[in-house]
Amino acid sequence: MLLAFDWTQLAQQIVIGLASGGVWATLAVALVVIYRSTGVINFAQGEMAMFSTFIAWSLVHHGFSYWGAFFLTLAISFAGGVAVERAVIRPVERAPVLTVVIVTLGLFFVVNGAARWIWSPETRSLPNAFSTRPIDVAGVAFSISDLGTIAVSLGAVALLWVFFRFTKLGLASRAAAVNPEASRLVGVRVSWMLALGWGLAAAMGAVSGMLTAPALASFDQNLMQPILLYAFAGAVLGGIDSPLGAVIGSLLLGVLVNLLGTYVDWIGSELRLPVALAVILGVLLIRPAGLFGRPVEQRV
Amino acid sequence: MGRRALGIALWVAMVAAILVVYAFAPRLVSDFHSRDLAEAGIFFIAIVGLNLLTGYTGQISLGHGALMAVGGYTTAALMVHEHWRDVWTIPLAGLTAGVVGFLIGLPALRLSGLYLAMATFAFAVAMPSLLKKFSGLTGGGQGLRMLEDAPFQITGLSGTVTIFGHSMTQNHFLYYLAWGIGLVGFLISWLLVRSRVGRTFRAVRDSEVAATSAGINLAWAKTFAFAISGVYAGVAGGLLATQNQIVNPLTFTFLLSIVLLVGTVVGGLGSLPGMVVGAFFVEYLPDVSTHVSTAPGVPDFVYGAAIIVVMILLPTGVGGLLKRVARPLTTRLYLRP
Amino acid sequence: MYLLAGALGALALATAATGAASETGVTSSQVLIGGTTPLSGNASAFQSVAKGAAAYFRWVNAHGGVNKRKIKYVYKDDGYDPSKTADKTRELVQQEKVFAIFNSLGTEQNLATRAYLNAIKVPQLFVASGATTFGKDYKQYPYTIGYQPNYRAEGTIYGRYLAKTSPKARIGVLYQNDDYGKDLLAGLRNGLGKKAKLIKSKQSYDVTDSDVRSQIARLKAAKVNTLMVFATPLFAIQSYVYAHKLAWRPKVFVNAVSSAANVMGIASAGAGKKQTEGSISIVFLKDPTDPKWNKDPGTKLYRSIMKKYKGGNPNDVYAVYGMSVAHTFVAALKKAGKNPTRASIMRAATRLNVKNDPFLLPGMTVRTTKTDHFPLDQAKLQRYHKGRWVSFGGLFRVR
Repeated sequence: MLLAFDWTQLAQQIVIGLASGGVWATLAVALVVIYRSTGVINFAQGEMAMFSTFIAWSLVHHGFSYWGAFFLTLAISFAGGVAVERAVIRPVERAPVLTVVIVTLGLFFVVNGAARWIWSPETRSLPNAFSTRPIDVAGVAFSISDLGTIAVSLGAVALLWVFFRFTKLGLASRAAAVNPEASRLVGVRVSWMLALGWGLAAAMGAVSGMLTAPALASFDQNLMQPILLYAFAGAVLGGIDSPLGAVIGSLLLGVLVNLLGTYVDWIGSELRLPVALAVILGVLLIRPAGLFGRPVEQRV
Repeated sequence: MGRRALGIALWVAMVAAILVVYAFAPRLVSDFHSRDLAEAGIFFIAIVGLNLLTGYTGQISLGHGALMAVGGYTTAALMVHEHWRDVWTIPLAGLTAGVVGFLIGLPALRLSGLYLAMATFAFAVAMPSLLKKFSGLTGGGQGLRMLEDAPFQITGLSGTVTIFGHSMTQNHFLYYLAWGIGLVGFLISWLLVRSRVGRTFRAVRDSEVAATSAGINLAWAKTFAFAISGVYAGVAGGLLATQNQIVNPLTFTFLLSIVLLVGTVVGGLGSLPGMVVGAFFVEYLPDVSTHVSTAPGVPDFVYGAAIIVVMILLPTGVGGLLKRVARPLTTRLYLRP
Repeated sequence: MYLLAGALGALALATAATGAASETGVTSSQVLIGGTTPLSGNASAFQSVAKGAAAYFRWVNAHGGVNKRKIKYVYKDDGYDPSKTADKTRELVQQEKVFAIFNSLGTEQNLATRAYLNAIKVPQLFVASGATTFGKDYKQYPYTIGYQPNYRAEGTIYGRYLAKTSPKARIGVLYQNDDYGKDLLAGLRNGLGKKAKLIKSKQSYDVTDSDVRSQIARLKAAKVNTLMVFATPLFAIQSYVYAHKLAWRPKVFVNAVSSAANVMGIASAGAGKKQTEGSISIVFLKDPTDPKWNKDPGTKLYRSIMKKYKGGNPNDVYAVYGMSVAHTFVAALKKAGKNPTRASIMRAATRLNVKNDPFLLPGMTVRTTKTDHFPLDQAKLQRYHKGRWVSFGGLFRVR
């Protein structure tokens, strides 16, 4: 019985799950960044990442080298994130949370529409930062780009940890998110901290887009929409205020979805996502703040 | 005596004005456009319900589009499989969605804020897939088409509807049905909000800890809020199915849940009159966006920009604006000398 | 159907001609037609089907129109939601009083309005969908007709080809989990006939999936050597690239929707030229991204109309489709007589024999008869060789 089971197939599906999850993790980290620094979930994060991907494509198309385009896109996206915060979020900074959520929903349509207007809807592709040559280990195939994507996510998590924990700016940013009033009293420029958060999240989103597009082999304006769903799910599973949780949650989700699809027949392709979401819901009921999230304490 | 009588007279005048507008609005637009007004009424019903949950009880739901799906598919399934007449399915559509709303409310007991939003969002995302999977009941990807499979259950199939001897076009009938139910639903909400239940809701919204200390059963309050908002959404969904004579998974994507939330927030959380404006906003904005230009991407851009601009100008929605405007008037009216 | 028509009789009268001499939507100077198409949302890339047609009509109008009438083509946004399609189509019929519904896009979207339009006898012309039912069910729905070669027929071609040339193949299918993918699969089974058991693995994906890595791995694990890709461009490209990543090189059949030259170019770049070499597909339109049509007069006409009448992005093969269907409509309108009626244009649409469509492959005829309601049912097989599509064999019926 044990021998008849296709262990190679299992290992392959797990590896594939990690590869898919690794792609989602990059966007999940961006979602955590924005939540940690502003207390808001940005529904437009995926679309902003998609827009950044198109910017990168345009740069490459106009003759820039891949890495030149990559870093220039990062810079432009950071600036864009700050600009969006100043223009559209700052006016509603003191409004109820739901108002800000609705604004990010509006932003979703604005960025999506802008990307459809500026660039035609044809299928495009972006070069891969890493090699896509297949590597075979004991019958299980993967490529450096899969590992590279996960490595980038973990690298971003590490950089963010260093930033938030050890730099003055990071400390100020955390303070501004947790207690804006008290922070103002201490001299933190809360408003600019929010802008910083948006800039960082946008830059992380740009990284996500520039890794996702080659991982998915081609892209168009719809690129990030399924990714956003999975990234949310992964981030929630891991704990929405934990960058490391977001990465681990996304990787776990990737493996879960793939194994469900492969081994549970009645699920079919329509129910993979709902079943995965149900599993996440189950986890949340046991650990309401996600696997690595910090439970919210309330002062009475 | 004088001031109180004036207050009552104003109320009576307002109610009379509303009834007059209700009765005669279809005459101001072409026959077909009564359908658009009817659809605004459908959104009105759904967002009045959502407002009870989110505005008054403080529970975020990104899944009310899925509850509309439950109502809409209940109506369609009853018509096609059980040969019920369309209008008589509406109460059952509301009831089924209310039950599902209650079930969704259960995680709310454990989750809060963002995580609750995610759980309801997950439900909204999963709904089209669930609808496609159980195709025996739901017609799968093709949905259910009542004009083909249950034509004689449709009220006004011939184009005219006659009620108590009074005859009107089918489009007018849809309008009167939607807004009639809407006004009744509004009244119920209004009474509910002013009752002990309403105060319970608001207590939960303002501080769960304080509410518990005051003896409020959080579980009951939250699940009841979910259930009753589900009933409203289900009724709205049933009316939508009745009007379009078709249900399909593509109608009930999470986009619909987002539209309902936008309508509620634009209308003003915790404000019932604002919901009328919210309903018209989400009903007419897509058409307005397409009229600006049909160049690729522009309709979506305009749609999103309008939402952002409205939120920046009116962060507490139209209801917030109404409250600020009405307060000086009403305080003057009720202030004792 | 008759009962329904009777019950809707009053409604039919309401939308019927008001004068004795002219039909609804037809005046002495204009014919008004309308349709629905996704102008917003995720499917909005398909709007080129409407925009290409609109540009063509503007060109025809600039050259005198048809029987001294200009064609006014109105298209409304349904956001790919069949409920909105039903609503907007009613608006076109009841409010704007169009002569006919033309070129509405989508399978579920057109199914949503078919019963209504047939009951009130408004023509549902040249539905932009590959579902077989629009041509097959004409007895029940005489006022509806499709246009493009249907997906089931396309699958049948591949099945027949495989049964004949590769009787020992191990076939695997990647298909989209909706009518489009399922129709192609059903056609494949149909074409294979007794050899249907050559299909060793079927893996479906949902449009909401982010990637098909898992499905490709399962197909490889089933030891498939002939891969049928019944998927839209994004997922078709992924099939090539992920197979390459697994060091797996099956023979590939890719469906026409995803066979455009620029899509194949991206797949070749991402997966290597060897991966795409030898792929097989069918074709019926002149793909504007395929250099072999650069000097073709039909393609030149297409590009000049797109430029002059602002049809949108000229590299979009959907726009070519739009022009072809508009060209056919013009032919039907001419055939409908000096004073066209809804009945006469329906009759013309089912008696077509158009040989000179500049946007279809040379030699193709747009033909319908009383019993053949499939206007386009010819195609050529083509093989991808050294980065180019090369057709082989002749034009044949895709039925």
